[in-house]
Parts: sequence; C-alpha cells; structure tokens
Amino acid sequence: MSKGILVFAEHRAGAFNKTSFEAIAAAQSLGRELQQTVTAVVLGAGMANLAQTIAAYKLDKVLYAENEKLAEYTPDGYADAMEGVVRTIDPQYVVMPHTYLVRDFAPKLASRFGKDVISDCLRATASDGGVIFSRRIFLGKMDADVIPSGEPPVFATFQSGAYRADQAAKDGSAAVETIAVEVGEVRMQPEPAFQEVKQAVDLSKADIIVAVGRGIKGQENLALVEQLAQALGGELAASRPICDAGWLPIDRQIGSSGQTVAPKLYVALGISGAIQHLVGMKNATTIVAVNKDREAPIFDIADYGIVGDLFEVVPALTEAVKKLKE
Amino acid sequence: MSAVVEEKKLIVGGSFLIEERRPEEVFTPEDFTEEQRMIAETARQFVDNEVQPRVPELENHDWELSRELLRKAGELGLIGAKISEEYGGLGLDQVSNALIGENISRSASFAVTYGAQVSIGSLPIVYFGTEEAKRKYLPRIASGELVTAYALTEAGSGSDALAAKATARLSEDGTHYILNGEKMWISNAGFADMFVVFAKVDGDKFSGFIVENGPGVSTGQEEHKMGIKGSSTRALILTDVRTPVENLLGEVGKGAKIAFNILNMGRLGLGTSCLGGMKLMLHHAVRYANERHQFGKPISSFGAIKKKLAEMAIRTWVGETMIYRTVGMVETATSDVENSDAKLQAIEEYAAECSLIKVALSEDCDYVADEMVQIYGGYGYSADYPAERAYRDSRINRIFEGTNEINRMLIPGTLMKRAMKGKLALLPAAQALMDEVMSPQLGGFDEEDEILAAEQKLAQNAKKIALMTLGTAAQKYMMNLAEQQEILLNVADTIIDAYAMESAILRTRKIAQAQGEDAAARYTDMTRVFCNDAIQRIEAHAKDALAAMVEGDELRTLLAALRRFTKHTPMNTVVARGRIADVLINANRYAY
Amino acid sequence: MKTVVLMKQVGNKDAVLRINKEGTWIEEGDLSYEVNESDGYALEEALRLKEKHGGEVVVCSMGPQRVKSVIKDALARGADRAIHVVGDDLARLSPFAAAKVLSEAIRSEQFDLVLTGLQSDDNGYAQTGVILAELLGLPHATIVIEVDASGEGLRVKRELENGWYQWYTMPRPCLLTIQSGISQIRYATLKGIMAAKKKEIREVAPAEAATASTSHQRITKIYFPQKSKQTQYLGDGNARAGAAELAERLRTEARII
Repeated sequence: MSKGILVFAEHRAGAFNKTSFEAIAAAQSLGRELQQTVTAVVLGAGMANLAQTIAAYKLDKVLYAENEKLAEYTPDGYADAMEGVVRTIDPQYVVMPHTYLVRDFAPKLASRFGKDVISDCLRATASDGGVIFSRRIFLGKMDADVIPSGEPPVFATFQSGAYRADQAAKDGSAAVETIAVEVGEVRMQPEPAFQEVKQAVDLSKADIIVAVGRGIKGQENLALVEQLAQALGGELAASRPICDAGWLPIDRQIGSSGQTVAPKLYVALGISGAIQHLVGMKNATTIVAVNKDREAPIFDIADYGIVGDLFEVVPALTEAVKKLKE
Repeated sequence: MSAVVEEKKLIVGGSFLIEERRPEEVFTPEDFTEEQRMIAETARQFVDNEVQPRVPELENHDWELSRELLRKAGELGLIGAKISEEYGGLGLDQVSNALIGENISRSASFAVTYGAQVSIGSLPIVYFGTEEAKRKYLPRIASGELVTAYALTEAGSGSDALAAKATARLSEDGTHYILNGEKMWISNAGFADMFVVFAKVDGDKFSGFIVENGPGVSTGQEEHKMGIKGSSTRALILTDVRTPVENLLGEVGKGAKIAFNILNMGRLGLGTSCLGGMKLMLHHAVRYANERHQFGKPISSFGAIKKKLAEMAIRTWVGETMIYRTVGMVETATSDVENSDAKLQAIEEYAAECSLIKVALSEDCDYVADEMVQIYGGYGYSADYPAERAYRDSRINRIFEGTNEINRMLIPGTLMKRAMKGKLALLPAAQALMDEVMSPQLGGFDEEDEILAAEQKLAQNAKKIALMTLGTAAQKYMMNLAEQQEILLNVADTIIDAYAMESAILRTRKIAQAQGEDAAARYTDMTRVFCNDAIQRIEAHAKDALAAMVEGDELRTLLAALRRFTKHTPMNTVVARGRIADVLINANRYAY
Repeated sequence: MKTVVLMKQVGNKDAVLRINKEGTWIEEGDLSYEVNESDGYALEEALRLKEKHGGEVVVCSMGPQRVKSVIKDALARGADRAIHVVGDDLARLSPFAAAKVLSEAIRSEQFDLVLTGLQSDDNGYAQTGVILAELLGLPHATIVIEVDASGEGLRVKRELENGWYQWYTMPRPCLLTIQSGISQIRYATLKGIMAAKKKEIREVAPAEAATASTSHQRITKIYFPQKSKQTQYLGDGNARAGAAELAERLRTEARII
C-alpha cells in the first residue's frame, strides 16, 4: 500500500535552491498532519555530497538517485528517473516546488501514472483522512480548494513562498541512500545555461520596486528616491505623469499603459493610486504607501502607510534601511 | 435559426414618423455577423495598442506619427474598407464601416485624422472622381500612403457653405483649373498630400476639385484648439494653384451636391464616432467609480453615482440603437446598387435620420463626458486623468459637420421637402392626425400582451405629437416655416426623441424574441426609463412650440390632445436605474 | 513544416469575477471571453515559422460553440484551417483528461510541431501541453521564447528563472509551450478576416475514451483570496518615526530587508 510523502529537491550549479527547502517544509507540514514520514529525493550524477547536505533536515530518508544521464537536467531524463523512484518508494504524496524545472517534467511524470499534478498550491491541509489543496486560479484573483481523487500517488507542487524555507525542521540526520535509476533515451540536448545582458528594464522581474508619482514635484528631486531604491536594492519606477513629463523613460512606467508588476515589495511615493496605476501593481506582496493625503486610494491596498511629506519620509527611510542592512 | 430570411425591404426615409415598424424590420447590433465583430475588434485593438499610448505625441503635433499611424491602419485594411476592390480597397458593407469608425473613435484626435482620410477626404473621389483620378489616388489613399483632406469652409462661409469666395478658372489651353482662395479649419492640413477643395468657377459655379500639395499651396499655423489637439487643423491658402481638368469632381457647378451628400454621410459617421467615445468614457467612469473609495466604500455603491452611470449607459445604448438602425437602412438601400449616383440618392434618402443622429449623439456624448468629469471629481479636472481630455475632445462634435442648430433645422426641413416632393406621405398623415385630435373621442386603449406595450403606445403618441407640432407649424407659416427657427428647434427635439424611443423599443423586442424576455430584462429597463423621461421632454418641447404658434380654443384643443398623448403612469426609475448601474458595476465595464 | 497550435478560450482577464451559488465555480453568465494570452503567442510563433519555412498551420481548440470566435480569429490572423472539438463541459476537464481529448483530436495529423501556450489564464495548471507530448510520444520543451527551425531538428531557447536561459536541441516532431510576450502579435487584417470565412473548420466530437477518463482533481470550493490588507499606519504624523518603524516592519514582518 502506498504510504509516505516523497519530496523532490531541486538543485542547479551544485546547490539546492530555496524553493526546495520550502517544498521540504510543505512536505513536513503535510507529514505532521497525516502522521506520515517524509523522504527526500535528489537526482543527479556525481552529486552524492550535495545530497548529503539535506540529510540535516528532519526527514525519514534522503534518496540520491544516480544516473550519468542526469548530469544535466532534461525532461526525458528526470521523468524516467523520478518514475523509477516513485514506483520503488510507492508514496502517497509526491511534493515538489513549483519551479520552471518542475513544471517542465512533473506533468510528464504524473501522466506516466495516468494522472496530472495539483500544481502551484498555496496550502495543503488534512481533512477527513484526505488532503485539501488550495491553489490560486484566474491569475491570482481567486483561490480554489481542490481534492485529489483516484489511486495514489498524488502529485502536488507548491508555489514559491507558500511555505517558509526557514521553517523546515532541521533536527534530523537522515540516512542518505544512493540508488541507481534507469533512464531511457534522452531526446533533447541542452546547451549550457547563460544569462543575458538586460536590454531594457524589465520591471516585472524586480523583487523590489520603488515607484514615484507626482508628489515628487520635479525631476531634480528624483535623486532622493533613487537613493532609497539603491538602499533597498530595488528598481526605480514611476506612475504615468512622471513618464509623460519625460522625467523617467517610458520603460519605467507602471500601470495599465506601462508595465504590470508583482514584486515582493512595492513602495509608492507620492502616488495617489489612480486605477490605471493600481492595476499595474496591486498584486505586489507587500505595498508601502507614502502620501500626504490620507484619503488617497493607494492606502486602500497598502500594507503599510505613512501619511506625510515624502521629502521628509524618504531620506529618513533611506537612512533607516541602510542602518538595518549594516 | 432564422431560416426565413426577411425579404430586404427598402424603407422610405423619414417614414418612421408616419409608419409602424416591426422588430424584424430593423437592424440592431445583435445582428452583427462574426466577421463584423472581428473587424470591430481589429479596429479597437489597433487604437488601444498603437494610438492611445501615443496620443501625447500626437498632441505635441508629431504629424509624422499621424502619417505612420495612417499607414498602419492602411495595412490592416482599416482605410480602404469603403473603397471598392477595383481601386485597392475592400468594398465592405456599411455596418462594417460603421463599426470601424466607432472603434477608431476611442481616440478622438486620431478619429479626426482618420475621418478626414476615409470619409470626407476620399469619398468625393469615390463618388464623383473621374476614372483617372480614382486610379491615381484611391489605391494610395487606401494604403495610407497618401494623406487627404477636405476643404469646404472659409472664414466667411461656415454654415453657409455655398457663400464660398474661392475661385477656379480654366486655363487658356483648357488643360488645367487655376485655383485661388483661403479655406479654414482644414483637418489634416498640416501633413496632407492632397485636398478636396470647393471653389466657384466663373464666379458662381460652385464645384469640387482635387488639389495636390505643390506649388501655390500653403497652410497657416496650427490652430490652438480646445480639444482634439492631436489632430492637425490649419488654414489652406491657394495661390494660382494648377490642377489638371481630370481632377474636377463631378461637373462644373454641381459642387453643392458633393458637399452636402458628403456631409450627410459625415453626420451618420460623426454619430458613430461619438458612440465610440461614449463607450470608452463610460468604461473609464465605471472602473473609476468601482476603484475610488470614499467613506470606506467604492463610490459606485452610492445612489448618486449609480444614477449617473445608469443614465450614461441608457444614452449610450439608445444612441447605438438609433445609429445601427439607420446604418442598416442605408446598407439595405445601397448594397445592391453599383452606380455612384444611385448610391448617393439612396444615402440622401435618410438625410433627416442622419441629421437627428448627429444632434442626438453629439449631445449625449457631451452629457457622458460631463458626467465622467463629475464622477472623477477633482481628478476629473486634472489633465493627468482621462476625463479632462475626453471632456474637451467631445465638445467639437456639436459644432462640426453642420452645427447642431443647422442640423435641427434640417430635420423638419428635410421631412417637409420630401413631403412636398411626394416622397413622404407626411401631409395626409398630419391631416388624419388633426381629425383625430379634433374628434371628441379618441380610439380606445388597446391592451397588448407584448413587452413594452405601454412604451410602444407612448412612442406612437410621441410621433403623433411631432406630427401635430410640425403640421401646425406648416399650416401657420407655410412657405416661411424655415424662418421660424425657435419652433423648428422644438419640433426637431420631439422628432429626435420619437425616433429614439421607437428604436429602443424595437431593439428590445427583437432581443426578447430571439433570446427570451429574461435575457431582454436589462434592455427593458433601459427602454422603459428612456421612454418615461423622453415623453416628458417631448411634452415640454411641444407645449413650448404650440403656445408660440396658436392661442385660444385652438391652443386648448391641441394642449388637451397633448395631455392625452403624454398620459402615462410614471415608473420607478430609481429602482430601474439602480439595476442598470449594477450591471455595469458588476461587469466593471460597459456591458450592454 | 506543419504545425498544430492548441488554443484555449478563457474568461476576459479584466472581468470582475463572481462566485456561483454553489460556491464551486465562477458565474459564467456575464463573462466575456478571449483567447488565452500565451496561446496567442504560440499561434504567432507558428505563423512566423510558416512564413520562414513554408507549410501549414492548423489550429485546434475545444469547448462549446463560443470557442469558434477564438478559432475564427486565428484563421483571420493566418492559420490555414482548424479543428474544433465540440463539447460543453470540456473546459472543466483536468489537465490529463484535456490532454487526452486533444491528443485524440490531432493524432492523425502528420505534424512536425505542436505549439501551445505555457499555461492558461483561468485554471493555470501549466500541464496540458506537457502531458499531451507524453501521450503522443513527443519530446517537449516548456517556457520557450525563441525557436530556430533552420536545422533538421529544432533548437529552442528556454527561459529559466532569475534571468537565465538555455538552448535545447531536439528532433521533430515535438511539442513546445510558448511564453507570453516573446513577439509582437499580428493583427487580424480585414483581408484576413474576410478570407477566414472560406477556411475549413472541422468539428469533431471528443473521443469517448478520453472524456471517460476521470479527472484526478476536483474543485470543491472557490473563494476570494483572503485580504490581509489591513493598512497599518505608521508614525502617526511624524515622518521620521514612521520611516524608522517602517524599516523595522519591513525586516521583521514583511521580511524583505
């Protein structure tokens, strides 16, 4: 009978990525609720040492599945290897991070079992012996509770940030078991991964955005905001009037006629929050608004608000951030 | 579904005033084909993606950009839709063309540039150009390569266009016309390659010409306009400009026919253009009202705002209904006609409808713009938000293509002219109505099961009121009627509302027949509110006119008839408008 | 080169969603529909490949009759013909079942390439394409931003996370899921719209075996994400105090610094 939870740990360039630890946290949380053990699986070639490093987490076991064809990620290779592992372990749940890599092979893996993946989940909660998975739909406008049906295993991926990596329990020292896995024909040949020099500013990829609106009053005052953006390690952006005025180039514009962003932190300075602007940024995880007008609509969607003059707030904030980062 | 295809029946222009129509006889937006919807969508996407983001550049008078946008529009087929395939166009139907115009008008400035190109600047060539001229110019106009403009108005001749002073004389060798004069308010003048110019040959023969930009052609400074600042408007100065004889449009002395026919079409087009603007403004207004919070709630949840949104929607929807009903009639009248003259005649048939649409839609557009500013509150007054521009852009519509005053005069004027020529049986109908008014007993109120039965009765009565007022005026002033402008304004207003009421009822009934009464409920609400208010306006206008024309017993008799015609139980418009607003608020857009 | 493009019709992105009475799905009555964004880019890529290398572009979409508008739009933009898998409940299929239906619908086409968007804007499963590849025995690549078909096989550029990219080479036939925004999508020209009237749209019923396959995930409830936005006003009018407090909150609560 299928039992236990198998969690997939993803690595690139010799290191696990953070979302893998988040997935471990998710698997552990599910394990606690269902009173089931958690096994981690690492795929690779010559990566035994890396596999060893997650043995520190509270896990029943770490499986290191090896095959020379797994030296580079390919969907064919990973699907074959994982299929072998899943068939051997026979888990009830297979938990994975919802990364680009997992998205590439997990559906293929699940389809080998005649199933699909409950993808991009935010939560998993035990209920009546089963599990309810919650996932976001309609581009984040709605959440759905989903229950799996049919025979195990249940494949699920978790959104980045759904669980916190630092909450993954670490007190264990799990045994690392190396197994050889079968990998059939790999039809795709990867070339080395590379980074590109950014041509234009793609604000949609920025984690932190400091945006400025008409409250800045003049182009000469932008330096003030730039200093804050630098201190926070973020990108500078603006509402439409600023770009219309030519104070910042159009590729810095947020809103319906500019870019749509969903950064982790969005700092809106002197932006009142016209709808045209809000649609471009309201999905940010944390929104900070600084505005003189307490009634400004930007405050309706802000997590933190400071009612005040940005010329006073911004320098003070820059200073405070610098101090905390020291 | 509709296996039985209604035989295409030509509807006599102006006959709406004296005849009843069935829902299946009128064209409505629900009849758009899939292709027509797609064409509309292409136009919308083009404007929203290519034009809207660059309006600030257009407003900075970047006319190279205007040319570039026209070329892009040409590549998509958006310019050549009215030009036949023979001359490099697509020769599409009237409905497709109206839909293109409606959607292009989401940018008011570009719509003016575009309108000068596809309508007034090129249709004179389509209808009156020589074969050489058509071959020479139309394909490159359709592609957007050549930019064209229309030059009729002069400093001293606006509404009185035929008083133009510009002259044309035949060269001694008979190969060219030589033009001199100054034209005003010429759209596209700043970057046009050619102009359709009206000038008098031998001092009195008003004629149309194609004039290429070249020696002797110059333009004035850009006008500092209140709105549509992203369109070029300048004076055109012609000094001994030579244009070959094959660039004469139609015949010498027949320029008025060109100018006025083009205006007829232009008026319908202008109404359509207003509609596009209204839908966009309403869209912005609904979104803003949903997003803007005061007292902890979105302002769209307050009755005062709901009332505004609902009324904006009602006027937009009724306006759309009038437009496409008329476009449908024009399409039926022109679709199988090849010959240009016959086509023009078919369009001229609906001159009164075109004028009333121009008046109604341009005023509704201003109403919607004004309420948009109001809903935006302080932000409505700021140039950084869309309401301010929309408000300024809207205002021109009541002025160009014949002022609304001129067009109001034209509505009863055209109908009377058609009646005199025996094309419209207005006089017998008016006589029959007078008999009914004078007879002590009016026909019984026939009970009807159909939806909007009460409104239908009101619409019939509205037409009677219009006829009664017009009949009284015609009888009293006879040949001097045209001078009674105040009376004519009132008559025009009753006619406009009567047409609007009937159009709305017919469309709603058609929807109910096709989709069931439940599906038609939201349209029923709009139609009922509109009719409820329109009959009160009509009563006021008619009272005003009648009291100015007759007195004593005659006035008392007519006012008694007016009371009977306008008698109705007021509806609960508050609840109905609330429902209408909720449809918009829930959909977060203009969802009718 | 013959390319099949799978396109899905989804509710308009700007629509205000309302939950149905049962709380299990949205109220579809007042929804307007549009093509799934990334599927539009998949079509554009297919048309560009056709312009470069010749061949045919076949569009396949499934759903009720309203899906025709997506199909006709694709034909107007330049696709050559279409397959419409007609059925009312197909939109609710989970990815495996959906892929099964689609695989049966296109199996007999002798295609070199299958393209689709990387995920749908409604359910956002991001799986149908990959599962379909598996069902048809094709190699695949996801989140593709560039396609080079000049060689015998296919060389594709994939987007990885954090600004990284990677080229893959694979044989044809294969399946690619295309990322949004990789090109400028062409308009349906008026000529194209008129020409589309004459193009073939083949209606097929979903393969019985395919619809019989059970869905492996069922939505029991949908709801609006809980708003955690209770704005905390900081500083109480004192800018400096507010700034200091904010920096602290960003570190401890929002965990950004």
